[in-house]
Order: sequence, then C-alpha cells, then structure tokens
Amino acid sequence: MSPGRTFRLSRRDVLRGAGALVALPALEAMLGTDGTAYADGTPLPLRFGVFFFGNGVIKSRWVPAEVGAAWSLSEELAPLLNVKDYLNVSSGREIKVADLRGHHNGAAAILSATPFIPLPPNGAPYSSKFGGPSIDQVAADLIGGTTTIKSLQLAVSKRPEKEQGPTVQFISHRGPDSPLEPEVSPASLFTRLFGGGLAADPRTRVRLNALDAVREDARRLQQRLGAADRARLDAHLTAISEVRREILSSAPAGTGACVLPAAVTETNADVNGVEPLQAVSRAMSDLWALAWACDLTRVVSFQHHGATSSTVFASEGQTAAEHLLTHDSATQDQVHDAVVVTMRNGGYLLEKLRATPEGAGNLLDRSCVLITSDVCEGLYHSGTDYPIVVAGRAGGALRYPGVHDRATASENTSDVLLSCLQAVGTGLASVGGGSAASATPCAGILT
Amino acid sequence: MRGPGLSLAAAALVLLAGCRERGEPPAAPDDLPPAVTVPFAPPPFTLRRLQASQYRRAVEALLGPEAAAAVTPPEDAAINGFKAIGNAQLSISTATALRYESSAFAAADAALATASQRAWLVGCEPSDACMRSFVARFGRRAFRRSLTDEEASAWTAAGADAALALNDFYGGAGAVVAGMLQSPDFLYLVEVGAPDPERPGRWALTGPELAARMAFFLTGGPPSDRLLDAAEAGELGTDEGRRRWAWRLALSGGARAALREFWGEHLGLDALSTLAKDPAAFPDFSPALAADMREETLAFADDVVWDEDLDARELLRARFTFASAALSDLYGVERPAGGFGRVPLPAGGMRAGLLGQAGFLALRAHEAQTSPTRRGLFVRERLLCEPVSQPPAQVGAMLPPPEGAVTMRERLAVHRADPVCAGCHGMMDDIGLGLESFDGLGRFRTLDQGVEIDPASELDGRAFAGAAELGELLAEDPRVMRCLQRNLFRAAVGHVETPGEAAPMFEMEEAFAASGYRLRALLVEMAASDAFRSGAPPEVTP
Repeated sequence: MSPGRTFRLSRRDVLRGAGALVALPALEAMLGTDGTAYADGTPLPLRFGVFFFGNGVIKSRWVPAEVGAAWSLSEELAPLLNVKDYLNVSSGREIKVADLRGHHNGAAAILSATPFIPLPPNGAPYSSKFGGPSIDQVAADLIGGTTTIKSLQLAVSKRPEKEQGPTVQFISHRGPDSPLEPEVSPASLFTRLFGGGLAADPRTRVRLNALDAVREDARRLQQRLGAADRARLDAHLTAISEVRREILSSAPAGTGACVLPAAVTETNADVNGVEPLQAVSRAMSDLWALAWACDLTRVVSFQHHGATSSTVFASEGQTAAEHLLTHDSATQDQVHDAVVVTMRNGGYLLEKLRATPEGAGNLLDRSCVLITSDVCEGLYHSGTDYPIVVAGRAGGALRYPGVHDRATASENTSDVLLSCLQAVGTGLASVGGGSAASATPCAGILT
Repeated sequence: MRGPGLSLAAAALVLLAGCRERGEPPAAPDDLPPAVTVPFAPPPFTLRRLQASQYRRAVEALLGPEAAAAVTPPEDAAINGFKAIGNAQLSISTATALRYESSAFAAADAALATASQRAWLVGCEPSDACMRSFVARFGRRAFRRSLTDEEASAWTAAGADAALALNDFYGGAGAVVAGMLQSPDFLYLVEVGAPDPERPGRWALTGPELAARMAFFLTGGPPSDRLLDAAEAGELGTDEGRRRWAWRLALSGGARAALREFWGEHLGLDALSTLAKDPAAFPDFSPALAADMREETLAFADDVVWDEDLDARELLRARFTFASAALSDLYGVERPAGGFGRVPLPAGGMRAGLLGQAGFLALRAHEAQTSPTRRGLFVRERLLCEPVSQPPAQVGAMLPPPEGAVTMRERLAVHRADPVCAGCHGMMDDIGLGLESFDGLGRFRTLDQGVEIDPASELDGRAFAGAAELGELLAEDPRVMRCLQRNLFRAAVGHVETPGEAAPMFEMEEAFAASGYRLRALLVEMAASDAFRSGAPPEVTP
C-alpha cells in the first residue's frame, strides 16, 4: 500500500474487479459518515475546469434579460436549463488586454489574465504566445499536486487555428513557451486514465528503467546547454517525471461513482470530412466526470472548438467554418446555431458532473467550471460585455442558486478568474499580470 | 548615435504597420539592411525538436519501415509559419512525452517482431559483448554522434537489466531502442557548437551537428553512417567539403520528400485535408478532390525542381500542371493518360503557375464564393513576405449584409471607399480581384452573379488580368525569389532571419540568381553557407 493519505487501489485491481459499469463496493467505506470528507477527516477535493469555445456569441441572444437572483435563461444559455441553479452568469465586463490582434487578446485575457506576447514577424506570418500561465495551470499547481495527473487537457474539434502560434491554437499553457497539447481521442484518453501498468509486470519495470536512462541522458545534456535550452530541457524532465508517475499510478478511492466504463472506442476520426463533434464531446465529458470521480486529476481544460478555428457545425446543416460565419453579417443566425449546439454539449458535461454523486452531493457541488470564449462577438472582435458563465458551487464558495452578475463600468474580466481560483481553494490574492492583472475578485458570484 | 541598427528598427516598424496608400510602391524593398553595413552576427543555437515527419524518417532509417508505420509522434505547433520555428522555441508537455513513450515501444516492438528483423538490427549472437556493441552502433545512429563511454555503459546496463527482467535478450535490445527513441539526444537536434576552427573568435556547429542539420534539411531524415563518418573525419570543415556533401544530399532519395514538407507548410497545402466547401455551390467538391489539389501542386513543384531543374520562377508562370481526371475536368483541359500526370495549359489562357492551381484558388476562398482578400493576403504574406496588419476593432460593423445578388467586386467596393479599410485591403483585394475569373473551386468562369467579370487589376501599380499575367509580374519581381529564399532558410534553421544574418542572406541571394534561380542550387548554397553552420557563442561555455 502506498504511504498516501488514503487507501489506494491499483488501476489494474480496479480493472480486474470491474466489468462495464460495475461500481466498486469497497470505495463507499472510504467516506466519512457525513459525506463531506474522507474517513480520516480529509475534506473532499475542490476542482477546477475550463470549458472553452472559440469565436464568441451573439450578445443579444446570450446575455440574460434580468439581473440578480431572479434571472432567466437567454436563448443561447437555454441548453443549460437542467443545471440553472448551478450557474452564475457574469456580463458587462471587459478584457483588459490591448487589441493588438483580435482573438489573441481575448484568449490571453480570459484564459491567463495576462497580455500575450506578439512575435514580430520580420516579413514572416504573424504569431503570438501567451504571456503567462493559463489559470487552469495556476490552479493545478496549487490544488492538483497530489493526483496522478496534475491537469488534463481535452479538445473536441481537431480544427484549431494552426497558423498564428500557440495563443490561439491551445487553451492551456504552462508559460509562454509551454503550450499543452490536448487529447483529442476519447479512446486514447481512456487508455491514459485506466490503462496503467502493474508494478509487478516486468514490462512496467522496463518502461521505468528506460525513462531512468533517458533522464540520465537529459542531465548529461543539461551541462552542455545555455540557460534558455536548459529551461526547455527542465520542462522535458518534468514531463518524464509525470509520465513515470502515470505509469506507476493507481486509482485512489473517491466515491462509489469511480466506475469503470466499457472500453471507449470513439477515436474522433472524421466521417466523410465531418467531425463527430457531439459524440466526441459527450465521450470526453463522460471521461472528465470519471477522472474527477476517481480523483485522477482535479483540473481539466476542455477546448470545444478553438479561437479562429475552422470547425464546421455540420449537424446544423452548415458547410462553412464557424469563424468565417462570424465575420459575415449575413450569417449571424448560423453563428447563433453553433453557439446553441456548443452550449448543449456544455450542458451535457455539467449534467454529467451533477449526476455523478460524491459524498452527500455531486461533483458539481465541489467544483468550478469556467465557460467562456476568446471574443464577445466575432463579427466585431469585441472585448466588452464578455460572455462568462461560472458553473458549480465549489464547496459552497460560489452563489447557489446562481445569479446574473452584471458589471456596470466595464470591470476587468480577470476579476471573475480570480473568483474562480479563490473558490477552489487556491488561496490566491491576485491573478495574472500587466494590464489584465486583478486583485479584486468579483464579489457578486461569491458567497 | 544613429547606426544601422536604429534605421533597421525604423524600417521594421514601417513594415509591421504593413499597409499603405493604394498604388504606392512598397515602402522598402527589403527589411534587412544592406549587407555591407552589418557585420555577420548570427543568433545562438537552440535545441530543436524533430518534426513529426523527421521523427518518422529517423525511425525508418534506424529501424525499418515496419517500425516507421507503427509510430505516432505528436503533432507540432508552428510559429511564424513553420513548425521548425515552433519546435525551436516550445517545450514539451506530459501528454507529448506520453505519446513519445508509447510510440517508442511500438517502434521497438515492430522492429524486433521477427527473427530476421532481430538478426538485421542486432547483428550478433546474444551475449554481454553483443549488447555492448549493439548499444554503440545503434546509439551512434540514434544520437547522430558516437556515444561517450559513460553513455555506452549506462545504456548497456539498461539493456542488460531489461533483458533480465523479461528473460529475453532481444527484449533488452528493444528496451534500449525504446529508451533511446525517448532520449533528448534523439528527439532534439542537439546543436551546441564549438569555437569555429576556420574563423577564430566565431562559434560553429561541430561536424556531426552540422551533418545532422544538413541531412534533416536536405533529406528530411538523419545523416547516413557514411556522412557521420565523413563529419567525424572533418570533411565538413571546409567549404568545398560542405558543398560536396550538400550536393550529394540534395540529389539523394529523401530530398523530394523533404522539399514537399516545405511546400506543404509554406503554401499552406496541409490545410487542404480539412477544406470544407458548400455542396450546393460546388457539388463536384470532395475530400478526394482536395487531395488531388495537394498532389497537383506537389507534383508540379517536384517537376520544376527535380525532374527538369527549371528556373524557380517557372513555379509562377509555367504553362503546364499536373492533374487527375477530376482536376482536368475542373480546369477544362484534356485528361492525362494514366489517371494522374502532366497536362499542358493553353497558351494565352489565364491559367498558369501556382496561382492558377486549385490548391491556391480553392483554399484561399470562401465555402461558396471566392475571396479576393484571402487570395491577395496569401500573395502578400507568403509570396512577397509583406505581412498585412489585422483589421481594426469593430470592423464587422462596416460590412453591411448584401442586398440581393451583388458581384464580389461590388461587395468589396466598400473596402475601397472607406479610407480605414483601403490601406490594407487595397494591398490584398487588388490582387484577388484580378483572379476573379476563377471561382471558389478554381474553375474558369466569365460571369459572377450573371454579370460579366472584369479581371483587370493591378499589383503595386502594374496592370494584370488573371493568374498567368500575375505570375509573370511576380516572376519578374525581385521580392518573390528573395521571399522564397527567406522562407526556405526559416524552415532550414528554425528561426526567422535576423539583421545579423543579412550578409550571408545576401550572398545566398546572389548565388541563387547566378544559378538562374535553380532551387536545388539554392538548397546547396544554403546548406553550405556560413549562416547555416554558425551561431553566437553560448552564454555558458562547456
């Protein structure tokens, strides 16, 4: 048994004991009697997620009409009906990153609270990088440290913008030079989460020995490099350590909801040039909920479709990339349809989290999921009246039932990010840097 | 003090703004200072992770085609247009390391699956000495240099331990393979350099480091044993030796595939695999046709560069292309024999060169219509190396929805009328409006919305109509070949050229012109150049 604070079952034990959809009876015993803490008194974990979608919304159809506690869902938020009590809607805020480049400014502001770094082209095509870590990574460093996977990055559409640099291609960044590649295949994600090795398997020993030899190589190489390359190799060494941890990992006892599904076969392959957006989004959402239920990770970022992506919403009869639709005033209804489909997939995720019991409540009771985009309205590349929904109760830190909190003086969107980080127990007093930094949480959504 | 550095910064600012009055000639023909004014001062070397295609080629060279078919390397992220630049700046994540891990074991398993494969790869009877000699031989090829004693001992011990754990010598050899494929010495082009023996006071790649850089640039794969032998023997230490090897590599089997990778990125052809079109507007369109478009441009470039060794400016004005039956029908030319092949384009027609090919015309278009703006942007950014600024905030409000059927030229008139738009859009739209005779799939047409198309337009004040005339103008424009050279350099070395590299860039340009713009001559000049092998000394010397 590991010296961790809770009893741990190896993942192989879980697999051996579980066919499809079989709960593990032993796990219930690990909870304390009041259902809010483990038997040893350790509180149930708090968790943070980001559900990101590219290219914004139609403001008049997104922002709820009423402000305060008695608000009703707008057309574009209507798909979240079944989890409405868990939603705090923030509107009227503004991103505080200069509009040097549309989409880049919004993505950097709303995901990292820090201005992006333009990469001067000198005649080369434009690119940019994040100026600091994305907030999911800030959260992971503070609340993700004890889990097998420090943070998980998922993506549904495989059509992100790939020609403008990391800022718009990725949503999770350790720092300017470390964008985090997302998993796009639910089948691969399943293997990563539940296909771990057994310590007694000689193959596991071989894998670990190979990594040890690689680490020795890397350390020898370090001595020959300058500072910048050393930092990159440090990141490589960290990645190797985390791979090692995943190989050795075991699924800790969470709740009775840590249940092995039947093997996931969805690989996110196009069908006649069409992406299976809904099927993949749902499969990813199921695995997200399971990863939380099994406490394999506490931080997840989810890119439904990217900023300036060429994702096509074929299910709505569309043939043009949504980003192009946003830039044509004649096709705003189609943009609206895409937002509704996206929020339907977001609703599936939130309902899944709410339907997954944990202690006396459910996963959504102890989490905070930030739902947002890289721009308010794509047509205008606008950064004002920004679309933000904060879902979940975060253990009671977020208002429940939720409210529509409308800012009146274009306050900083980063305030909402700080509220999220505080709600999940990071203890931070400020977030971000430069013009977008915030030390003033959005009080209206906190209890 | 107002030195060349200052005026350079000023010039760069002008170009960054990227837009100008209509008809005004380019502000500066070149954003690098005159070669004579700036002493050669290259940037420092950096670790550059192998691109997925290079990784595959390396696995194939080391382990054979079965292993190459089994690997699943991570996708690379481009910066400033090239994955080579992204891979020289970005660090890897846990998910990426996991992918390398599973890929390495899949490669090792596939490479050692049969007795004959095991005999070929390991080459000796199982024994401690055999493990040691396998590590030394395989390690040298994997790391593209001879192993140190310390490395050889460490990897031999790792192999022996794995063989013991698995009770199988070849399992141990497989563990060495899988481990080395995860080592930074394999995954990165490790470029540290050493004081340049040819030029005291300067810093340059070591022989084996240069061999690797040359081989990956020119052949897309790792250096052969012979090249490594030559490099370790000092053959790349002279201009003549570098040139001889560069020619050899440029004429070797991998060179075509390597240059195809470049075109895929530089011309954006990789995006054809996810191109979407409106089936109502273009019932003929299919993913298979998009694949034909990609192959057309690549086969055309292969022909110009490799099969015929033509002047590279023919890329812009050649009166032939390569087509499938479906593409021939789209172009209205006779189908080639054998399903896919070279087809002549009618003399005097509007179609010629890259800009007459569907891989440009359909890719730089909307799903149901053309996009003169996107076509023009491509020519500015990719062919002329003139970046265009982003649209101002709130720009969407300026484009009212069309009322009734209007031609593309009419729709874009608002860009021209509004001075806020005209500066940048004039740079792009003028080029694209001259290509309006090709629809959003690349088919020739004479009508738009029932109105006769007037393709008369201009490029920086010079009149043209159609892709053939635009190609002629661009072929005569010195910016175009310079831009191609710059882009090749960026892909080759993993950074955007710096002011300190102006002198060798200028020399390369002269040599390219002197060769009659033969691209393979440019490849060789580049690989043999000072800029290719030199770097600033690191701040921490070994």
